[in-house]
Amino acid sequence: MNTPKNTTPSVVEPPVIELIDVSHRFGTHVAVDHLNVSVAAGEMVALVGRTGAGKSTVMNMIMGSLTPSEGVVRVAGHDLSRDRRAIRRKLAVSFQTDRLLPWRTALGNVELGMEIVGIEAGERRRKALDWLDRVKMAGAASRYPHELSGGMRQRVSLARALAVDPEIILLDESFSQLDHVTSKVLRADVSALVRSLGKTLLFVTHRIDEAIEMADRIICLSAPAHVALEVRPTPAQRADSRECERLHAQIARAMGGEDITDEALAAANVTLLDRARKAQ
Amino acid sequence: MTMPQETSPQIGLPDRRLGLLRSLGASRDTIGTVVVVLVIAAVAQIVSGHVPAYIMPEPLVVIGAIGTLLTESYVDIAVTMARLLAAMLCSMLIGSAIGMVMGLFESVRPFLRSLIVIDTGIPALSWMLIAVFWFKDPETRIFFILTVILLPFYALTVYEGVRALSKDLVEMVDTFQPTKWQVLRKLILPHTVAYVLIATKSAVGYATRMVVFAELIGSAVGIGAQMNMAQSNFQIDRILGWTCLLVILNLLMQASVDVIDRRLLKWRPEATVR
Repeated sequence: MNTPKNTTPSVVEPPVIELIDVSHRFGTHVAVDHLNVSVAAGEMVALVGRTGAGKSTVMNMIMGSLTPSEGVVRVAGHDLSRDRRAIRRKLAVSFQTDRLLPWRTALGNVELGMEIVGIEAGERRRKALDWLDRVKMAGAASRYPHELSGGMRQRVSLARALAVDPEIILLDESFSQLDHVTSKVLRADVSALVRSLGKTLLFVTHRIDEAIEMADRIICLSAPAHVALEVRPTPAQRADSRECERLHAQIARAMGGEDITDEALAAANVTLLDRARKAQ
Repeated sequence: MTMPQETSPQIGLPDRRLGLLRSLGASRDTIGTVVVVLVIAAVAQIVSGHVPAYIMPEPLVVIGAIGTLLTESYVDIAVTMARLLAAMLCSMLIGSAIGMVMGLFESVRPFLRSLIVIDTGIPALSWMLIAVFWFKDPETRIFFILTVILLPFYALTVYEGVRALSKDLVEMVDTFQPTKWQVLRKLILPHTVAYVLIATKSAVGYATRMVVFAELIGSAVGIGAQMNMAQSNFQIDRILGWTCLLVILNLLMQASVDVIDRRLLKWRPEATVR
């Protein structure tokens, strides 16, 4: 099986996200080990890995909230260790939980990011309403977060991220807390929206089916975070269940390392594929 | 994107039911208060028939005294209320600021916390007597006494509020690269409003008692001073009248805080225990 370590992916466009030989340690624990990743403009890339593989650490470094122990993180051409504020308005994040401010309405929440980056009040309101409409939440503008369902809150969270018109969107397991159907609907909507806008999307997930469905490229991390596998799912792989199963198995093995047996992998694949078929 | 829109949780009917339950609960509270007041009045009426008027006057005499106080001593009521509001506002601002600094700056937290804990340990009477020595002007005395007594309510509650601020929300706001002032204005201040209101609810009853006490010792104007005068003139009906008025004023202030609470915190979901 092809499981190259620490590879630099070949991308056509100039990279908007670059992690160059990045390592990070929490005390003596190595969370990220000489990681090299780049994401080109307009790409949709999935970062998959098991719990503890260092996905969140990598995301935090890309957001600029964590400085790597070694290596360079560049976002939109800026070295984050030198100037974190340079990526203001260039990068937006949607998290695992919606993280809406409970005292603001859906509209107020969408306006938050624009308020911070200094967009004028009239334009801000117009844009916020427009984004709520795009994420199919136009009718809920005046509702408070506690009056919305989980899926609706996640849509508002997404509108808040997109409203600042960022070049790059990071999704940190944004669909993992939703039920299967809501998650699927939202994933389809997000994919269509991001593609139509030509934005760069980097999303973290531990669900292989989600990665295969949405991503142009899947980067599989193994602990401590390093590239264990990198694949580009083809339309044929997505359409054909056998091909999809094979790809699924390949990724699962890369995620799990050498401790996953063929029997366990086969059992896991059957369960996942069954679930996918039932959902369809 | 042709997928159907998601529906929100059913909020229409439960909200109406909740409203009905709430109004039912409120009317029960009102009925309970009326019943207790009537029972007290009945007991006072019975007792007044068996003891001299200077010990327990008839309820009707007390009601008459209330009417007289409202027409003759409205200035004293206004002065007391103004003192109370000014001191509460000042304590709210200074106390909340101290609480926020305690919550946000680890280096000064132990010092401010110790200061507040020492303050809470000093009896109100000590502050009153100290204030008589320290300040010549009665207004300054009362303002000082009330402020030092009420300040810890706000400081400690707001401190707990800042500590309770979700790290997730801080991280979310941080992704937009805000300035420190923006974090304070967009996140910390709105979050602490609920805690300031909680502190106000706890402090308002205590403040009413303390302002009267401070006026009794340090002023010639105000409800406390008038009660002192009534006591000197053996006017038990006036003392009881002032007492009833203070209870009413306290209830009105509590109700006002509740109205502000409902307006400012309308975003909060109602929690019901079945």
